[in-house]
Amino acid sequence: MTETATTPLLEIRDLEGWYGESKALHGVSLNLRKGELLTLIGRNGAGKTSTLRAVMGLMRKRRGGIFYAGRDLSRTPPEIAARAGLAYCPEERGIFGSLTVAENLALPPIIAAGGMTDAELFELFPNLKARLRSPGTKLSGGEQQMLAIARILRTGATTLLLDEPTEGLAPVIVKQIGAVISALKSRGYTILLVEQNFRFAAKIADRFCVVEHGRVVESIDRGDIAANERKIQSYLGV
Amino acid sequence: MVSIFGVPSVLLYGQLLVGLINGSFYAMMSLGVAIIFGMLRIGNFVHGAQYMLGAFGAWYLLHLPEIFPGLGLPSLNYWWALILVPLLVGLIGALMERIFIRRVYDLDHAYGLLLTVGLAMLIEGLFNVRYGSAGQQYDVPQSLQGAINLGFMYLPVYRGWVIVMALVTCVATWYLIERTKLGSYLRAATENPDLLRAFGINVPRMLMLTYAFGVGLAGLAGVMAAPIYQVGPQMGQSIVITTFAVVVIGGMGSIFGAIVSGLMMGIIEGLTKVFYPQASSTIIFVIMAIVLVLRPAGLFGRDTQAHSIADVSSGRADSILENGRLWFVLLLGIGLALPFLMFPILAMKILIMAIFAMGYNIIFGYGGLLAFGHAAFFGTASYIAAHMAAVWGVPPEFCLLAGVAGSSVLGLLFGWLAIRRQGLYFAMITLALAQIVYFYAVQASWTHGEDGIQSVPRGVFLGLVDLSRPLGMYFTILAFFLAAFVFVYRVVHSPFGQTLKSIRESEQRSVSLGYSVNNFKLIAFVLSAALAGLAGGLNAIVFQIASLSDVYFMNSANALLMTLIGGVGTLLGPIVGAAVLVTLETRLATFGSWVVVMQGLIFVLCVLFLRKGIIGTLQEYASNRRIRRNLEAQAATQTPGKPAEVAP
Repeated sequence: MTETATTPLLEIRDLEGWYGESKALHGVSLNLRKGELLTLIGRNGAGKTSTLRAVMGLMRKRRGGIFYAGRDLSRTPPEIAARAGLAYCPEERGIFGSLTVAENLALPPIIAAGGMTDAELFELFPNLKARLRSPGTKLSGGEQQMLAIARILRTGATTLLLDEPTEGLAPVIVKQIGAVISALKSRGYTILLVEQNFRFAAKIADRFCVVEHGRVVESIDRGDIAANERKIQSYLGV
Repeated sequence: MVSIFGVPSVLLYGQLLVGLINGSFYAMMSLGVAIIFGMLRIGNFVHGAQYMLGAFGAWYLLHLPEIFPGLGLPSLNYWWALILVPLLVGLIGALMERIFIRRVYDLDHAYGLLLTVGLAMLIEGLFNVRYGSAGQQYDVPQSLQGAINLGFMYLPVYRGWVIVMALVTCVATWYLIERTKLGSYLRAATENPDLLRAFGINVPRMLMLTYAFGVGLAGLAGVMAAPIYQVGPQMGQSIVITTFAVVVIGGMGSIFGAIVSGLMMGIIEGLTKVFYPQASSTIIFVIMAIVLVLRPAGLFGRDTQAHSIADVSSGRADSILENGRLWFVLLLGIGLALPFLMFPILAMKILIMAIFAMGYNIIFGYGGLLAFGHAAFFGTASYIAAHMAAVWGVPPEFCLLAGVAGSSVLGLLFGWLAIRRQGLYFAMITLALAQIVYFYAVQASWTHGEDGIQSVPRGVFLGLVDLSRPLGMYFTILAFFLAAFVFVYRVVHSPFGQTLKSIRESEQRSVSLGYSVNNFKLIAFVLSAALAGLAGGLNAIVFQIASLSDVYFMNSANALLMTLIGGVGTLLGPIVGAAVLVTLETRLATFGSWVVVMQGLIFVLCVLFLRKGIIGTLQEYASNRRIRRNLEAQAATQTPGKPAEVAP
C-alpha cells in the first residue's frame, strides 16, 4: 500500500501523557486513514493502552495534537471525542453490572445516523439475543467482549478504538472476534486496534505501529510483514 | 380500654402513626443522600440544612407580602410551595455543586465531609443569626385539615397526605433510577463514570443535576415537614445524622434499601417510644451497630464497594519539622514561656485541644481512617472525671485515669465495630456510635442533661500540686502535653507505627505481607481514643465542667479540622492546628451568633485552599526547594551540551 496524499482521518502528533507524576507517553505520532485497520503492537507497558486513553481524553494530563476529521480534540473532554465519532472499547470491557445486557447495549447515545440496527447486531453476535435480560456481568468473558463491541456499533460512530479484544479469551472465541473485526472492516469502519497477539493481528491488520517506551518506533505495512518478521519478534520478545 | 402487650391500643396506634410520619421523612431524606452518595461519592452532610431551606422556602412563599412589602407580591400557599420550593432548593444545590462540591470529587472523602459540614454550619448559622433558634409556625393548608375516622383511630388528613406523598415520591424515584434510560445512565455513572463519558455523555453535568435532584428531594421533604414540625434553623441538624444511620442500615448506594429502611426505622422508633421510651432516640443507632456486625454491607447493600483507606498524610519523614527530639526541646521552651505571654487559661485550652488532635492524628493521619466520633471519647472521659471529682471527691489523678480507661474501653468497642469498613462508611459509623453516647448523656441522670456536671473541683494533683492555682494547673497540663507528644512520637516511629503507615499506603499489600491489618487498626483506634479521653478529662478539670458540647458531633468535627489546618499525618500539625483554632474561636467569641457562620467558613476555606495544612505546606515547600537545588547542582556538574538522560 502506498502513502497517498489523502489527509488522515485521525492524526496524532507528539502525544505525551502522564499518570500522576509518571510519564507514560513520550511523543506518540501516527496517522490513521479512513477505512484502515491499524494495529498498535508492543510489549506490556509500552504505552498502547495509554495512547487510546489519551486520544479519548480519558488520560487527563496530556499534551500534543489529536485531530479527528478536521476537529482538534487535543484538549477536549471524553464526551466531545465520543460525539465527534470515536467509539472506545476498553481493555477491561467495561460492562456495567447494575445494567442488563439490553441496557448495556442501549447505553451509548446515538451520535450519528447510520449505526447498526439491533437486527444487524444480533446477526453479528447471535449469543447476545438470548441473554438480553440478564445482568451485564453475568455473561461469560467472550460474551462480555461481544457486548462491549456491539454496543459501540449502534451509535453511528465510524472509528473504533479497540483495546485488546482477544485478551484472556479461548481460541475459538478469538477466532469469532477476528471474524467480527474483519466484517466491520469490510463494512467500512476505521479501526485502531491494540493487540498483544501478533498472530491474530497479522491476519486482519493493514498496517502495524510498534510502540516502545511511549513512542511509535516503527510502522510496517501488511505486505512487509514477512520481510520484517524477525524485527517484529525482537520488538515483542522479552 | 383495649390494650396490646399491656399498652393501650390508642397509644400504640398513635405512636405507630408518628413513627410512620418520621419514617416517611427518613425515607425521603436517605433516598436523596443515597443517590448523591452513589453517584458523587460525597457524604452530603449539608442535606439537613437543605431540608431546612425547603421548610423556610415554604414559609417565605407564604409570607412574601410581608417580606417584600413594596412589590405587591402575592402570598403563595402550600401547593405553590410544593412545586416551587423543591425546584428552588434544587437550583441552590446545583450552584453549590458547581461552586464547591465539584472541587472535592477527586479528593479523599474527608474533604467532602468537612466541606459539606462547613456548608451546613454556614447555612444554618446564617439562619440562626436572622431567626434565632425559635421556630416559625406554618399552618396545615385548609384543604388538608381535619381527621378521618379509621375505626380504630383518628388519622389527621395532613399526616395521611404526607405518608402517601412520601411513598409516591420514593416509588417514582426508584422507578426513574431502576427502570428508565436516564436511570441506566445514572447507574452506569455510579460504576464507571469515565467510560460513560467516553460514550459521549456529559457526566459532569449529570452529576450536577443528580446533586440538584437529591437536594430537591430534601427541599420537598422540608416543605412537607413545615406544617408538622416547627420551621427553625436547627430542624435539619438532628435528622441529618439519623438519615446517615438509615443509609448505612439500608446499604450505601442502595435506593431500595434507603426507602425501606427509612420507613422501617421510623416505625421501630415509634414502637420504641411505646415500649421503652428511654431508648427511642438511640434505637436507630443501636440497630445500625447490630446490622454492621451481622451484615457489614447493610441490609440491601449490593456489594461492599471498595472504599480504600485514605492516605491524606502530608508529612515528609526527612523534614526538620518531623524531628521529635528537636521539637520536644523547643516545645518545652515554648511551653514554659507561654503562660507569661498569654492568659494561662487560653494556653491550657490550646494544649488540651492539641492532645485531642494528636490523638486524632494517630487514627486519621497515620492510620488513614476517617474517624468522625472522637467527641464520644473526649466527652466520656470528661463526664467520668467530672463526676468522680465533683460527686465522689476523688483526687484528680484518679479521675483522669478512670476517664482515660473509660474512653479506651469505649474506643475498643467502637473500634471493633467500625474497622470493618473504611472511608466515608467509617466516618458515618463512628459518628452514629458517638450519637448513642450523646443521647445517653442527654438523658442519663448523672450527666445532668443540658446543665452538665458543674463546679468540678480541681483538687491537688498527686497530693503535691495545687491545681486551683493557675500556674500549678498549667504546668500539670504542660507535663501531660509533653508526655502525649513523646508518646505519639514513639508510637509513630515504632515498628507498630511503621506498619500502620504501610497499611495506610496499601492495605492489601500489608495483608499479603502477613499483617493482621485489623488488629493494627484497632490498636491505633484505642490509642487514639485514649488520648482523646486524656484531653477530655483534663478539659473537665481545667474548666470545672463537663457538658453536652463535649460529646456533641461538632467536637468531633473540630478534631478533624484542627488536624487538617495543621497538617494531616505530621508531627506538629495537630499542635499548630489546635493553636490556630483555639485562638480563632476566642477571637470570634465576641461576634455572638456569627461564630458558627465563621467556623463554617473556616471549614470551607480550609478544604478549598489549605488541604495540606500549615505544617504540610511548609514541608512541601522545603522539600521542593531542596529538590530544585539538587537539580541545579546536578545541572552545574553536567558537561554542557550533554543533557542528563535517564538510562532506560
